[in-house]
Amino acid sequence: MMPSPVVRLTLRGVLARKFRILLTILAVVSGVAFVSGAFILTDSVKGAINNLFVELRGAVDLEIRTKIAFGDSARAERDPVDVSLMKDIAALDGVRLVEANLLRQATIIKPDGEPLKTSGPAFGISWTGPDGLDGRTLLEGVVPTKSGEVAIDKSSAKRAGYVLGDKVTLVGPIGKGEFTLVGLTGTGSTSGGGGASVCAFDPVTANEFLGADDKADSIYVGITPDAARSDVQKAIEGVLPSGYEVITGEQSAKETAGAINEIIDIFGKVLLGFAAISLFVSAFLIFNTFAIIVSQRLRELALLRAVGASTRQIHQMIIGEGLVVGIVATGLGLVGGLGVAKGITFAFNAAGAAFPAADLLISSRTIILSVAIGIGVTLAAAIVPALRAGRIPPVAAMRPELGFSALQRSKRLVVGVVTLITGITLFSIGLFVQPGGTVGTLGGSAIGAVLLFLGVASLSTTVAAPASRVISRILPFPLRPMTNSVPGRLASRNAQRTPRRTASTASALMVGLALVSTVSVVAGSVKKSFTDQLKASVTADFFVTNLSFQGLPVAFGERLAELPELGSVSPFRATVALINGEEKQIGAVKPEIGDLVDIDIQKGSINSLTDGDILLYKDPARDLNVDVGDTIDVTWQNGKTSTLTVGGIYADSSVAGNWLIGLDTLAEVSSAPPVDFFIGAKIADGVSIADARAAMDKVAADFPSAEVQDQAEFQKSQEDQLNQLLSIVYGLLIFAIFIAILGIANTMALSVFERTREFGLLRAVGMSRRHLKRSVRWEAIIVSVFGATLGIVVGIPLGIAVAIALPDSFVTATVVPINTIVTILIASVVVGIFAAIFPARRAAKLDILDAIATQ
Amino acid sequence: MTDVSTVAAAGAINASKIYGKDDSEVRALDDVTVDFALGQFTAIMGPSGSGKSTLMHCLAGLDALTSGRVLIGDTDLAQLDDKQLTSLRREKVGFIFQAYNLIPTLSALENITLPLDLGGVKPDQEWLDTVIDKMNLRNRLSHRPSELSGGQQQRVAVARALASRPQIIFADEPTGNLDSKTGAEILAFMKHAVTDLHQTIVMVTHDPVAAAYADRVIFLADGKVVDEVNNPTSELVLDRMKRLGS
Repeated sequence: MMPSPVVRLTLRGVLARKFRILLTILAVVSGVAFVSGAFILTDSVKGAINNLFVELRGAVDLEIRTKIAFGDSARAERDPVDVSLMKDIAALDGVRLVEANLLRQATIIKPDGEPLKTSGPAFGISWTGPDGLDGRTLLEGVVPTKSGEVAIDKSSAKRAGYVLGDKVTLVGPIGKGEFTLVGLTGTGSTSGGGGASVCAFDPVTANEFLGADDKADSIYVGITPDAARSDVQKAIEGVLPSGYEVITGEQSAKETAGAINEIIDIFGKVLLGFAAISLFVSAFLIFNTFAIIVSQRLRELALLRAVGASTRQIHQMIIGEGLVVGIVATGLGLVGGLGVAKGITFAFNAAGAAFPAADLLISSRTIILSVAIGIGVTLAAAIVPALRAGRIPPVAAMRPELGFSALQRSKRLVVGVVTLITGITLFSIGLFVQPGGTVGTLGGSAIGAVLLFLGVASLSTTVAAPASRVISRILPFPLRPMTNSVPGRLASRNAQRTPRRTASTASALMVGLALVSTVSVVAGSVKKSFTDQLKASVTADFFVTNLSFQGLPVAFGERLAELPELGSVSPFRATVALINGEEKQIGAVKPEIGDLVDIDIQKGSINSLTDGDILLYKDPARDLNVDVGDTIDVTWQNGKTSTLTVGGIYADSSVAGNWLIGLDTLAEVSSAPPVDFFIGAKIADGVSIADARAAMDKVAADFPSAEVQDQAEFQKSQEDQLNQLLSIVYGLLIFAIFIAILGIANTMALSVFERTREFGLLRAVGMSRRHLKRSVRWEAIIVSVFGATLGIVVGIPLGIAVAIALPDSFVTATVVPINTIVTILIASVVVGIFAAIFPARRAAKLDILDAIATQ
Repeated sequence: MTDVSTVAAAGAINASKIYGKDDSEVRALDDVTVDFALGQFTAIMGPSGSGKSTLMHCLAGLDALTSGRVLIGDTDLAQLDDKQLTSLRREKVGFIFQAYNLIPTLSALENITLPLDLGGVKPDQEWLDTVIDKMNLRNRLSHRPSELSGGQQQRVAVARALASRPQIIFADEPTGNLDSKTGAEILAFMKHAVTDLHQTIVMVTHDPVAAAYADRVIFLADGKVVDEVNNPTSELVLDRMKRLGS
């Protein structure tokens, strides 16, 4: 325990500096809120999704499905089950109810003819109503029982603008249909489908409209109350043909929810990554505040030493203040975490993500980690200032000019350089050597980046003064350097006055802006590489993609192929297979792909695809040591095996991937319902682009979820997707930048406080409030432009390194986006102005006489 | 004496300054009327709490009167807003404070020309050279305040006050922080500024030796002007002070 005078002094110290500590607390609060918000959000959403699937599986006791030979159970493409099995199952003892589970793509067409856009998939299902095994509820109307009737989830119906009794156009896998809306459904506690739109039909209509061909995805079984589930399960296993399995309803719900939870976990980890960045930036702010406060209290601390306080007690006092700040901030941060979780949910829902409505869960893990992180970071940041405080000689009480024995410049240079080099080394090892897979890569480069930032922050103290001088000479560019006027000269000199303070304040901004620069270089490179690839290896005139990620009904591609306006058309389907013991992504295409994509065939022929041959990229061909005419053994996910002859070897895998088979080959080995991921098309000779486009659009009218794009549109839509991702990344980095702005404001406020007397003097000899404000503002601008420059200088090389490290199939070019750099520099000036608002106002408000009277 | 001395550089008419209210009311200045002639070195003396600092602050436009008028030249300070007061201080008034008189980030020369630079006025080079040479600062101009001795710092402050050739210079205990030898040096410089450079200085002090450098000493007690001595000696001043104290 701390002795009581130290505790008293600590608390008094915090209270006496309420305002100065307030911003520090705010910085810790935002960091902790971000961390706890990420945990709360993922816990809550996962909880809600688990509940949703438990509710959806409702009364399902057992589920019958086909087996898979390998791979992830939830995402596997299973062969469908034969519905004729249901009769045998229903006859078994203990079986109460048997239902076909059928789930296919079905798009709702709004009254204006446009497809209803959903953030999740658009489903059509077979449904027997709330009394059946499916857990869906009927909120309004009746259960659809005959052809021409549909029930739609209430929120989708509302968004599309349909009410009960309306005629609704739907598009299924094999074509359009007209239905009467007879019912509105919900799932458990919600009126939606968790972002998906769900159209429910009676089993016969579903089979027909969804093109199921008397097959189902699986069979649901409900047992009688008196039956033991294990007995029924054994009985079912007895009558099942080989290749089938039976699992419990709970397992089924868990598997399905698990696949979604994995995505949410990734999302949560990304959020935590950004939270870590924010915390790192707040550590700079905390460190800076404590360092400044300690130097401002020099006399007080020296006095304490003079009257007998030990170095240890001084340490305890400063660390204690850090502890108080940490505890208060962590408490507030946890509360803020609820707000962050709500805010992120709101922001993503506004963008169409449809997080299920969930009660916010604060688990004990969230609390423990938030407390550890919040208090830990604060204490870590307070240690160096505390050690410095302990070095104050007691005599400084009488002679403050003796001051601190600061870390020697040469020593700091050595520490900075060593940290920087270690950081660069770790970063490079993580990025290029990639030890231990993804974890090693990310961990190594992240720790490397942290050390790199710390090294630069330490070294920036050395360059802070000259850099401030240069910046103030060229700003405000180019008409009149600020050093031409007194406020500008004062701003410049003040920025140079305490290089350590300027450097650590600027470094906080550096971190955020360095990451922005890095991301912009990587994104610019990805865009450029994508465009290059498109130009170099894609010869198709049109691309058809799906608005959602469900793929396109195969009927669309088949009808496109019949158009006389088009020369070559090929869909691209995907499957997985086990080759040489490893799971591989296999593409299934028509030989026409050769007219659409330049795969640079080296040996053999693309046409061999129609003979059931396999084509492969040169690298796996080399690894497997196979040549044209050799055979490869392939195990498909449903357990079937094939021996395929190598029909050709190609040298460009950027679009086609490593393995290609024919559509017929895929149809032979897999009976899972096929979907096209995209379709490429080339115009027939002598047909104008406009005519071809008109013909395609006409077909597309029957498939509203399909999007037909020419090369330029395709390129743009891909870039738009990337830009959307970028804006999310930048949006999350804003947190860190915001904390850095707080840091600049805080440092400026502390400096204004420290220079009270000086400002009073300036006012007395005739400086106007406006000029005084300007001098504070320009100092803030110098600091933030310095930070931005550091950020760019550090971030661009990092970005180039990442771009080089990314695989060639992804990034082939390196681009440094000049406009982003210019934007960052301009934005940093705005940041400076913004950060100076409060401190400048405070400086201008000082009463001259009081200020002059200050010691 | 030349006839300029009959013209007032600054003055207070029926000046009162009251702090607090009712029972806790303190009359820092109580109906003070006083004139400061151009080209004269005036010292204001009085015991602690006599109102001498308040009078100076109000005369300099740093503080506002409760009632009465303050004139700098023929400008009534009560009529001016903050902006106008600021430019008045910059152009018409010079200041010398007790200590920490200079901006630490600026060089000696920059400190001297600060009021001129703030007003965007080009210094009169000839005058500036005269002032710098008079204050014996020629070879210290590029130094920062931290590189100067206390006496040198105070000479820079005097030079700053003179640089804009103001109507009047106010000095608040300018030697309070200096040893007696350096203090005497500064006072001599101030005296030179008045006699050789024809400046007007009003100095608040409690030191009879300092006051003896002035042409005229005004004594304040309880917010009122109670006495006045022309061409004082330190013995005379000390004598009057003793009488005030009793």
